[in-house]
Amino acid sequence: MINFAQLLIDALLMGGLYALMSVGLSLGFGVMRIINFAHGEFVMLGAYGAFWGLTLWHIDPLIAMPLLIVLGFLAGWLLFRGVIEWALKAPQLNQILLTFGIALVLQHIAVVLWTGDVRSASPGYAVSTTIIGDLFIVHGRLIGFLVAGVLIAALMTWLRYSETGRALRAVAQNRDAAILMGIDPGRIYALSFATSTALGVASGAIVSFLINITPFMGFPILLKAVAIVILGGLGSVAGTVIGAFVLAIAETMVAYYVPDGAGWTEGVAFALIVAILLIRPRGIAGQSLAT
Amino acid sequence: MTRGSVAATCAGIAAGIVALAIPLLGMPLLADIDFRICALLMVAVSWNLMAGAGLVSLGHSAFWGLGAYVAILAANDFAVPFAASLLPAMLAGALLGAALALITGRMRGIYFAISTLAASEGLRVLATMLPDITGGGNGLYLDSKLFPGKTAIGLAAPCGAILAALIAWAISRSRYAFALRAMRNNELASQMLGVAPIRFRVGIMMIAGAIATLAGAINAWHGGYLDPGVGFDLKTTIDAQIAPILGGVYTLPGPIIGAIATIGFEELTRALFGGMVGISLLVFGIVLVVVVLCMPQGIFGLLRGLRLPWRPATPRAAR
Repeated sequence: MINFAQLLIDALLMGGLYALMSVGLSLGFGVMRIINFAHGEFVMLGAYGAFWGLTLWHIDPLIAMPLLIVLGFLAGWLLFRGVIEWALKAPQLNQILLTFGIALVLQHIAVVLWTGDVRSASPGYAVSTTIIGDLFIVHGRLIGFLVAGVLIAALMTWLRYSETGRALRAVAQNRDAAILMGIDPGRIYALSFATSTALGVASGAIVSFLINITPFMGFPILLKAVAIVILGGLGSVAGTVIGAFVLAIAETMVAYYVPDGAGWTEGVAFALIVAILLIRPRGIAGQSLAT
Repeated sequence: MTRGSVAATCAGIAAGIVALAIPLLGMPLLADIDFRICALLMVAVSWNLMAGAGLVSLGHSAFWGLGAYVAILAANDFAVPFAASLLPAMLAGALLGAALALITGRMRGIYFAISTLAASEGLRVLATMLPDITGGGNGLYLDSKLFPGKTAIGLAAPCGAILAALIAWAISRSRYAFALRAMRNNELASQMLGVAPIRFRVGIMMIAGAIATLAGAINAWHGGYLDPGVGFDLKTTIDAQIAPILGGVYTLPGPIIGAIATIGFEELTRALFGGMVGISLLVFGIVLVVVVLCMPQGIFGLLRGLRLPWRPATPRAAR
């Protein structure tokens, strides 16, 4: 008999992590209408940052994370001002190919610098567990979940209550009207892109002690994040969080109940993408941009 | 016909003859480059046909891998010879194209791109998880008894490439091209002008799908080995878009010039950096970024901008 409570806990902990991975992508799309295909690469770079911090200087990934967030923010700002901004008015084809090209560059810089070897950061809490009754809770996953929760809560508070956050939402809702209110969209775009990459890097710092680190880890993460963002509705942060938990629960169920489930879980995200696009292209809470 | 288009036609015919002659010369290195250019050309033409209708594909490895699997499975399980195995592969590609076109309905841009990405990853998972049919992660080898010889396969690639170029040319000469371009610019408006987007979308994706699967199928015979990672390699998707972008997107000669340039780049980086892993794709990434930002018209666009005595003609599809 499969332990249903264990399944729920696994799904919940994973869902928090998925939410953090995809919320940056969702933010970037909501404001600029660009899917950043390099988002997974920022997760990868964050993971390497945390790994090297731990390996070379014995800095715990959780302590390195604030610094990595700042670096990710700066890198995102520079990338936006240096490259992305030039393609904002270009056809969608160019934008898709541009971020795809950036992903390719970042991925293979990592290959050249650090080779394709599989690594993983392993602070003590990565493997230690608490057992309550017959439930196993891996501390690393719990910590990841909590950090993700704090970061997402901070993001949503910032978006909701701060002056800048309101300006950002205004641009997302109606760019032209926002300009008339005296908001500089270029600055807001740069800010949202930088925040988005910072969130990607932050989730990288967390996954560094949960999954294997390779230069190619970004692409599967991107695909999952895209599935989650579509599921939640492009451009809705709250929808993205819901979408993350839906995907996590679906994957965990498949892993538990389907024979050979662990292999099929990889396909869940794609099945969900197709299903959502067929049934409800606007997702759970998003706006329809299908045409 | 302008002088430019005469020159371009002559160049095309000459390139076709050279591509067909190389496998007969018995020079393995040259034949290998010829083969890769022709295979890439097919995928690039296919990608460009779809892009021309506003359908940006990020999943050409889906067609490529499907073609590879259908051809090899037909050969291994039903002893179908080389040439005959290409037909079911193309049929499967056309069906996949039609299915994708119908599933994505009126979706465009990002949504379409993501669907194709999902399709190729989904097929990869299927191929991994159905080891009884596909050999799963262990992969499968082509039955060597059926191997038709290097020359036959070497000749099939340029034949396929010429076929693909002719199809693209025929489409660019037909009314079809105008309907597709109207769809790319504004699908809703084109609908009001009496173009039925779904019909054209299904049509163009069936054609593009068949061309890309043909390339995958020929390549599978060329390689002789297949596993999900090889078949549905992301690199195919990347190559399929880099070649037309580099050559000149939405144009007839673009994917052809681009395929030659892309393989040239690959050989150049290999010669310069030798065995350094990752360099060639790093260079591709940089090329992609630079071309998209600085020369969105590609090499063909540059040529057209030069004041050559035989200025290349603007093909109808790009005007």
